[in-house]
Amino acid sequence: MSSSLTTAVLSELRRIVGDRGLITAANQLQTYECDGLTAFRVPPAAVLLPESTSQVQSILRLCHRERIPFVARGAGTGLSGGALPAEGSIVIALSRMNRILNIDIPNQQITVQPGVINANVTAAVAAQGYFYAPDPSSQTVCSIGGNVAENAGGAHCLKYGFTVTHVLEMTVVLPDGDVVTLGSKTPDAPGYDLAGVFIGSEGTLGVATEMTLRIMRKPETVQVILAAFDTISAAAQSVSDVIASGQLPAAMEIMDRLSIEAAEISVHPNYPACEALLLIELDGPQAEVDLQMAAVIDICKKNGAWETRLAVDEQARFLVWKGRKAAFAAAGRLSPNYIVQDGVIPRTSLPAVLEKLNAMAAAENLRVTNVFHAGDGNLHPIVLYNRDNPGEEERAIDLSLRILDVCVEAGGSITGEHGVGREKQCSMSYMFSDPDIETMQRVRHAFDPLDLANPEKLFPTPRICGERSRGAYAPHPLEASGIAEVF
Amino acid sequence: MERLAAIADEEFVVAGSNGAVTVSPANTQQVSAILALASEHRLSVAPIGGGTKQTWGGITSPHIYLSLARLNRVIEHPWQDLTCTVQAGCTWFALQQNLSQHGQFAALDALFSDRATVGGILSSNDSGALRQRYGSLRDLVIGMTLVLSDGTIARTGGKVVKNVAGYDLSKLVTGSLGTLVVITEANFRLYPLPQYERSFTLAAPQAAQLAPLLADIRASHLLTQSLQLRRSASGAHLDVCINAHPEAHQEAILAQMAKQHGLVPEECSPSIWRERETIFSADATVLRISTLPTRVCTLADQLQATQSDAQAISVSQAIGIHDVALCGSADAVASTIAQLRADAQNTVAVLQPAPGVDMPPHVIHPSALSLMQSVKRNFDPHGILNPGKFFAGA
Repeated sequence: MSSSLTTAVLSELRRIVGDRGLITAANQLQTYECDGLTAFRVPPAAVLLPESTSQVQSILRLCHRERIPFVARGAGTGLSGGALPAEGSIVIALSRMNRILNIDIPNQQITVQPGVINANVTAAVAAQGYFYAPDPSSQTVCSIGGNVAENAGGAHCLKYGFTVTHVLEMTVVLPDGDVVTLGSKTPDAPGYDLAGVFIGSEGTLGVATEMTLRIMRKPETVQVILAAFDTISAAAQSVSDVIASGQLPAAMEIMDRLSIEAAEISVHPNYPACEALLLIELDGPQAEVDLQMAAVIDICKKNGAWETRLAVDEQARFLVWKGRKAAFAAAGRLSPNYIVQDGVIPRTSLPAVLEKLNAMAAAENLRVTNVFHAGDGNLHPIVLYNRDNPGEEERAIDLSLRILDVCVEAGGSITGEHGVGREKQCSMSYMFSDPDIETMQRVRHAFDPLDLANPEKLFPTPRICGERSRGAYAPHPLEASGIAEVF
Repeated sequence: MERLAAIADEEFVVAGSNGAVTVSPANTQQVSAILALASEHRLSVAPIGGGTKQTWGGITSPHIYLSLARLNRVIEHPWQDLTCTVQAGCTWFALQQNLSQHGQFAALDALFSDRATVGGILSSNDSGALRQRYGSLRDLVIGMTLVLSDGTIARTGGKVVKNVAGYDLSKLVTGSLGTLVVITEANFRLYPLPQYERSFTLAAPQAAQLAPLLADIRASHLLTQSLQLRRSASGAHLDVCINAHPEAHQEAILAQMAKQHGLVPEECSPSIWRERETIFSADATVLRISTLPTRVCTLADQLQATQSDAQAISVSQAIGIHDVALCGSADAVASTIAQLRADAQNTVAVLQPAPGVDMPPHVIHPSALSLMQSVKRNFDPHGILNPGKFFAGA
């Protein structure tokens, strides 16, 4: 047995979840040693597959008593190492808690367990004309529990908001085993918004075992336009012009040439071959969408779009989105290995930031391809590399982290939807000052004074980041811009 | 007082008749110095903006009123990015005036916006009829500058709409009634100003007669910006604000839906969307009740049929938020509140008690309460910020 847990603890865990719910064999543990960020791997001491809130509660009580760290895991699709096990930790995999518990159409709510797959929520209410808005690209495989941990977004959050906008109430098991209800099915639960801070806390505050989500009425009409441009700047300018015209599309996405080619090889969406593809989705009442679409097409043409292609029926739209959502996986067609980065910049700085990224990539002799949620400034540069070339993986990781620095310097963020996890915890000190991070820790310690829940994630630690925050001292961007001073 | 005067200039430190001192710092650094001083001497502090909602969460009697009135600037409005940064003491009205120069607005219709400030609105998590379309304040605020009770200055979130780096303390702080931190600056995501608003109202003797139409509207594709139910002893009104291009003919669709229920929408003045301000008259006890959306009409009618002699006027948002004025003897009002709280389907906050009405402002479930108290202790270990609000004695 490879586990670092004592026999007594293991047999107690087995009593809680049964033989079928406990994994300790080394070959089976391998499945759980990383998530979508495969560059980091740690085998867990054991994996538990609970089937109820009370089993999760018993597990966490035992962890609390024995001081065993735990990492909750959904579908393991995360891209920042959020579900990476900690040394000696157990993994609590919620995949068996995958039931839809209640659907309340008149109140536009649905109650689910954390292991329910994102796309299955919409599937459960689609017949009644409703949908669940957050749509990360991995929506056909990722779980709601993981979405809650990461505050997942997706292409449509420009108009509809993030996971946090759509979670009304949660049952949460705290790191000491107490079960609490955060939020409420009615608006504005009394007291502090603990649900708001729990969502997106990346598993560091406890384990959510049940959640009530808001569902929305499907729009009357949806139309998607594809516009082909010769430069990314022209596509980006069109995005700014659409916003300036007072419209709020459901989604605005840009793909560059390499991404288009990769998508084409991978899922054949039949995109026009161009330097920059802009995809804009509008939804609402038919007459209004028709008018808005005409205005959008005008704007694109004024900015030099040489082809505009309208996808109106459901099948055409599905193909358009399939190409876009396959963009990350399709990078595998371009290169043996790749890192998907996730930075955010103010929309207007897109052309300047891209120029910088291209220069940085050229200097490293690495290829970077880009897909963006252009409407909200969320960039997904994909750094392509080959692990077999000595030193290339290190250079690729370093480049991907320096891209984040550029985002922070532009007034943006180190992550728009993938989370900090293990990947970016050292970049946190570039975006936030020590007092900012210490203030977050006050919340952490109220929930988890013993640091048992997903330890050594999200926050920079001396062990992982060294005493220095990456590189030499750099002034906090707020400080450099004269908004703040250091005390 | 001398120590306070050394931080903010003498003219900005004023002693009140009740023994409390009001200090008006000029910037975040002065707020920090004042809180550090108060912490050291264990003096209680109540942050104050326009003073329009001081009774919410319970009435306090602090040693120091920390007025944010001088932090009243809109710091930046990068309109192409649809965001802004504003100081906490800026009134909501002044902020909107400023943003409207570029055809944008912070999509929330706050109470008493000519006096209420950004910081006070955030602290009380107020929201009005626009919430139907744009969500709550917690969906609109994207970052903050905060001062902790020990004087620590911290920032949370950022200036971009999409951002999941670290805990989102802006959400925690929004609605915390000044008990965790003092907000000195906030960043908001903005929306383009609505171009095609039209307001309609439908009348009936009872809300129950409007309920089927309300349910139909909620289940329809109608582009409603606001959806509000007004109820008093004299009858019920369902107010609908439509915001869509005229060629989408939404008003015709509304009229068609209403006709099926024997109702006729009449176009009306947008002033109905400020009706909820009349609920907050000085002699009334004001409640905020949350229910499920499907209970909106039921509750509004129930309020008219209570056993006691308390008279109720309510303005409800279709999402399930009700602002309710109760007038009558203190006993009658208290007994109505007790009845409402006895029904587990209602969550009842007493925002403004009339003289003699002594009911707990909030009822928080014990399991969540102890976690909230531990958050409070970690942020404000000496309990100097608004002691007594939310948790008695915390």
